[in-house]
Amino acid sequence: MASMDVPADMPKRAQTAQAAAVRATPAPVLTWVTLALMTTASVASLRAAPTMAVYGLACVFLYLVPAIVFLLPTALVSAELASGWNGGVYRWVSEGLSKPLGFLAVWCQFAMTIFYYPSLLAFVASTIAYVIDPSLASNGLYTAIVIMVLYWTGVWVSSRGTKALAGLSSWGLIIGTLVPGTILVVLGIVFLGQGNPSAAPMTADHLLPQWTGLASLVLIVNNFLSYSGMEMNAVHVSSLKDPAKEYPKSMFLAMGLVLLIFILPALAISWVVPADQTSLTAGVMQAFNAFFSYFHIGWMTPIAAVMLVAASLGGMLTWLAGPSKGLLEISRSEGYLPPYLQKLNKYGIQQNILVTQGLVTTVIALMYALIPNVSSVYWIFSTITTQVYLIVYLLMFAAAVRLRKTQPDHPRGYRVPALRLICTVGLLSSLAALAIGFVPPSQFGGSSVLSYVLFIGGGLVVLGLLIPYAFLKFRKPGWRSAEAAAGEGSAS
Amino acid sequence: MSPTRFASEHKWVYVGAIVVLVALAIIGVIQYESVKSTNEAAEKANKLADAAEDAGYPRPDTEVIERSLGTDGGIVCEDPATALRSALWKINVSNGAAFVGQRPVIGDTKALRAEAKILEIYCPDKLDKFKDRLDDLKTDDTVRRDA
Repeated sequence: MASMDVPADMPKRAQTAQAAAVRATPAPVLTWVTLALMTTASVASLRAAPTMAVYGLACVFLYLVPAIVFLLPTALVSAELASGWNGGVYRWVSEGLSKPLGFLAVWCQFAMTIFYYPSLLAFVASTIAYVIDPSLASNGLYTAIVIMVLYWTGVWVSSRGTKALAGLSSWGLIIGTLVPGTILVVLGIVFLGQGNPSAAPMTADHLLPQWTGLASLVLIVNNFLSYSGMEMNAVHVSSLKDPAKEYPKSMFLAMGLVLLIFILPALAISWVVPADQTSLTAGVMQAFNAFFSYFHIGWMTPIAAVMLVAASLGGMLTWLAGPSKGLLEISRSEGYLPPYLQKLNKYGIQQNILVTQGLVTTVIALMYALIPNVSSVYWIFSTITTQVYLIVYLLMFAAAVRLRKTQPDHPRGYRVPALRLICTVGLLSSLAALAIGFVPPSQFGGSSVLSYVLFIGGGLVVLGLLIPYAFLKFRKPGWRSAEAAAGEGSAS
Repeated sequence: MSPTRFASEHKWVYVGAIVVLVALAIIGVIQYESVKSTNEAAEKANKLADAAEDAGYPRPDTEVIERSLGTDGGIVCEDPATALRSALWKINVSNGAAFVGQRPVIGDTKALRAEAKILEIYCPDKLDKFKDRLDDLKTDDTVRRDA
């Protein structure tokens, strides 16, 4: 970070002053456990537990199969890459494939979050409404205000440095996910221990989900994406004392935590609350209310709501900081973004990228909250953004195979056994998820399949290809940071 | 930056977050109306339990239904068909992701219709609009149930 301080076209004295200011701030040191908690906070929370509880014992299958074909390849491959190269996905793809593709990878990781924040924060707003006054959840102005306040507070916290957000996101995970998750599981075990029959059948013939053809395939394959984001925090790998050894450890701990958080609480809810009461439409809190009501501790529901809010905001912080940092780093070394977006604040954080991203998110969030026609179709953006994110995985797996071939002796703290096989599985899984993303879900109703395919395909092309291409096309040589340019000059 | 300086710089961020969350939790617990068991609540809970049994589920505990839905259906009956509420549950008809991987799926017919039964018993005036929204959905039987 400190090695790439200022754009090349800044006055020399200003460059020196800014570079000195940034260098005066040493890289914050994260422990591998903190990084594991950040990674877990980016991927897992209890929000999905009631949704998956509906499937009963089959939720184990629905999480384990994607874990084998998608989580494992993603975690292992990113562990190898991060233990050999600092910087995260942009660096891996840049080294393994090409720098423009490195930019594409980090752009896709960054751009998809812009559409993600409004729906995440709308969920947080509705959960806060549940706590103070449920009727507020239908109020556009309330939703808009909550989204704005929380988002910009998140930007402010993120702009204060990696360690500030690392602490908050880790505590968000502990308070918002690990503690309530443990409570759910313990109460579930107590429920069974009291001799009550499980509300969802727990026999072996219920381990597999109902097979209804395409709908079941969509459910299973789309669940690969439950583990999206495992690699995202690798951008902070240089904040570890010994990245080569500590990052793989951090990844394995995160993998275990993510699996436990996804599977056990969903199972516990399915033991206590019958599927017909776990209404998908009434929301997460209704399911928690039914769960706690059984134990005569309904008052725990608003506390669980506040915990969920803490977890969601902790997760949001990691997403604010990670992809934007990767985008900054490749842009400074290659000049892919204008100098204004490359500037750092006194904590060494890409504040201008965060603020610019915030302005775009603000417009989208206001439209979501205040224009009913936008909120009604907003789910489409969830599909487009996950499609865009899959480009990152395709590039990452391809880069890992190529790096093993082109730089076999580059020191790596961890080497994936059978890397080519693991990457092939990861690539095929990502391609399958990409293809299944074109199948219209429930929300699309009976409308034309072709129009859905065109809409999703169009969104994918515009957000994932055209916009990053425009940045590459219109970049200027002077946009490279002074030190990146000087480094290349002295090398040549 | 020394650890001491770091701690003092970020102390207020942590303190602020804790104060806001604790305040929300206290407000929530105070607001949470522990629903008193009344004849009306018991009667509605029995109706819902009957409906669940008729649909092939094991009969749910009516006391639990009373406590979670009371006499007015609680959060389930809170403007279920408005654009923002619909947007939220439409996003919830999704895979098992909790963050950026959340993606819509083809939802289970009965699971999606479960709320309609609650509305029918607790707030029938809101049922028609909600059903209109449900009728727009393409669903399938993706949850394995006992025959």
